[in-house]
Amino acid sequence: MQPFTVLTAVAAPLEFPNIDTGMILPGRYMRRHRRPGHDYGEAFLYDLRFDEGGKPRADFILNEPAYRDAKILATDRDFGCGSSREGAAFAVLDYGLRALVGPSFGEIFQVNCIQNGILAVSLGESVVHELWRQLRARPGVEITIDLPDKVVVAPDGKRHRFDISPLRKERLLRGVDDIDVTLEYLEKIERFEMARRTKQPWLPTAVRK
Amino acid sequence: MRKARTLFEKIWSEHEIILSPQGETLLYVDFNLINEGQSFLAFDQLRLEGRQSRRPEQHLAVTDHYLPTINRNLGTAGMPNAEIRRVVEMLDENSRDFGLPHIGWFDSDQGIAHVIAPELGFAQPGMLITCNDSHTATNGACGALAAPIGGGNQLRHVIATQTVWLKKPKTMRISIDGRLPEAVTAKDVILSIIHQIGVGGATGYAVEYTGSAIQAMSMEGRLTICNMSIEAGARIGMVGPDDTTYQFLSKRRYAPVGEHWETAMAYWKGLPSDADTHFDRELQLDAARLAPMVTWGTSPEDSSPVDGIVPDPSRVGDQDRRRHIERALEYMKLVPATPLEQIKIDRVFIGSCTNSRIEDLRAAADVLRGRRVTVPGIVSPGSSAVKRQAEAEGLDRIFVDAGLEWRDSGCSMCNGSNGELVSPGERCASTTNRNYEGRQGRGALTHIMSPAMVAAAAVAGHLADVRRLK
Repeated sequence: MQPFTVLTAVAAPLEFPNIDTGMILPGRYMRRHRRPGHDYGEAFLYDLRFDEGGKPRADFILNEPAYRDAKILATDRDFGCGSSREGAAFAVLDYGLRALVGPSFGEIFQVNCIQNGILAVSLGESVVHELWRQLRARPGVEITIDLPDKVVVAPDGKRHRFDISPLRKERLLRGVDDIDVTLEYLEKIERFEMARRTKQPWLPTAVRK
Repeated sequence: MRKARTLFEKIWSEHEIILSPQGETLLYVDFNLINEGQSFLAFDQLRLEGRQSRRPEQHLAVTDHYLPTINRNLGTAGMPNAEIRRVVEMLDENSRDFGLPHIGWFDSDQGIAHVIAPELGFAQPGMLITCNDSHTATNGACGALAAPIGGGNQLRHVIATQTVWLKKPKTMRISIDGRLPEAVTAKDVILSIIHQIGVGGATGYAVEYTGSAIQAMSMEGRLTICNMSIEAGARIGMVGPDDTTYQFLSKRRYAPVGEHWETAMAYWKGLPSDADTHFDRELQLDAARLAPMVTWGTSPEDSSPVDGIVPDPSRVGDQDRRRHIERALEYMKLVPATPLEQIKIDRVFIGSCTNSRIEDLRAAADVLRGRRVTVPGIVSPGSSAVKRQAEAEGLDRIFVDAGLEWRDSGCSMCNGSNGELVSPGERCASTTNRNYEGRQGRGALTHIMSPAMVAAAAVAGHLADVRRLK
């Protein structure tokens, strides 16, 4: 997993409340493999980005040339609400985003983002609205998200503090996911396993009988 | 003296490796089941990360959700939907690439994961079992701690580490004492429990089912009860091992044998909850007062004894509940105060991890013997072994002679992942576990009940009391 420290990148304002995980990753993509070169980048907000004929909607913000390299989305309230589908965070990642800044996020979605190295930051609604205003005023302008200092630096230079649990912060800074954390205890797991298998040798394995 | 402990606490503590400062426990996973579901996400991610399975032989991949229950001999040609076919193929590839044992669709052991794990003896007392499926608690009927995990990250974590991080739930004991009246089954017991405590009633608890009615119940019945723990909000449901458990296990292919059996028995006998144990929550049910149940709404708690009527939302005080009932009746196209037995049905489904074991098929066949159904329907045995057993007993003939289709094994019309759906607006009497809007297909109207009650409805053409079937 890619560590997250300080990110300065183009941010796109996405003024659209309650974008649920079903919009982030439409259901029809949920039966699809995710492989390099065939990832969920295309699926991300597909029905908002494209019309019924598959043509990009010119009036949708992410289709504007200024936001082609956006790595940050300034989202609206409850981004990522709805079903717990884990592919939604993959869609965000595969589209090329590294951070989301918004008033609120779906809880499970937010956890899934962090698991994949995406920082989803909650700021007050008025702060986000002001951020949108500045981003709209200068399309393609960059903002900075400083995780060690826990601040978002707006285009006007104003610094906005955000909260994040120390554990999540550390995982993002180190770029470690849940498996990395667990495998730090690998020796303990192996000892436990050995003892358990010795004590209960009858425990089944799925070796053909 | 050692503090008295519950069955759940004993098994949980046996599997604790680490307790995190955030209050989650790293637990050792003895055995993990994998279905097609979203598991390809886990495998895709593991591939991208270059990770492998730590203990492949402690997993069993089972193809159950996306398999057709018809035309299997045609192979993939029998699967017209390319997306569904692809999901089935992905589990074939993923289990092969990661070296995981796999029961695929032409395997003589093929069946629904939660039917075959107990059937083959993979689910044993004292084990910690996980599966990327919400009905994993089914296996708890064997005295195991069986918990659902997410099909993406959590499954990926179990494959890579053979461990899982879980937050310890509180404990709840549900005691069902007394004798169940005629035609009242395990399904009616669990539907009554969910009706009483609601779909969130056991959220945050590991439930132990106990009492004389459970003790007198077969393993099949216990599996049905534990299966629907999640519909009461509990991720874990279990029954303490006893002679019924041991007898069931003794015939299973993967159960311990010889000297191991003796040692295992000695260990298992120490597992049941200690006599004076404290549970965080208690619920008692009088078995003698239970009746055959049917659901009328779009939540598993929306049920009633079959001689009841469709509720009138205007008489419900709680505002949220009233709104739910209004919406449910609109979706279900039902009018308040209609006697439930007047609700006409269009088809039936007998199957799913809830009610597809041999005892369930016998109960349905007993009702159908010498009778004809008035609506179409399918019967899908829970496993290929159940299918063989049923055919040896001649049950397949009874179903076919009555006018139902005798199919292969799989999750099938329970949620229609395999494309076997209830049509929009069609009303189905079903032995399954969930009656959510769209669960059996878009616009499908589902009524849940026991296998015998579904059989009775199939004969009558409407919801019917199996005790009074002509």
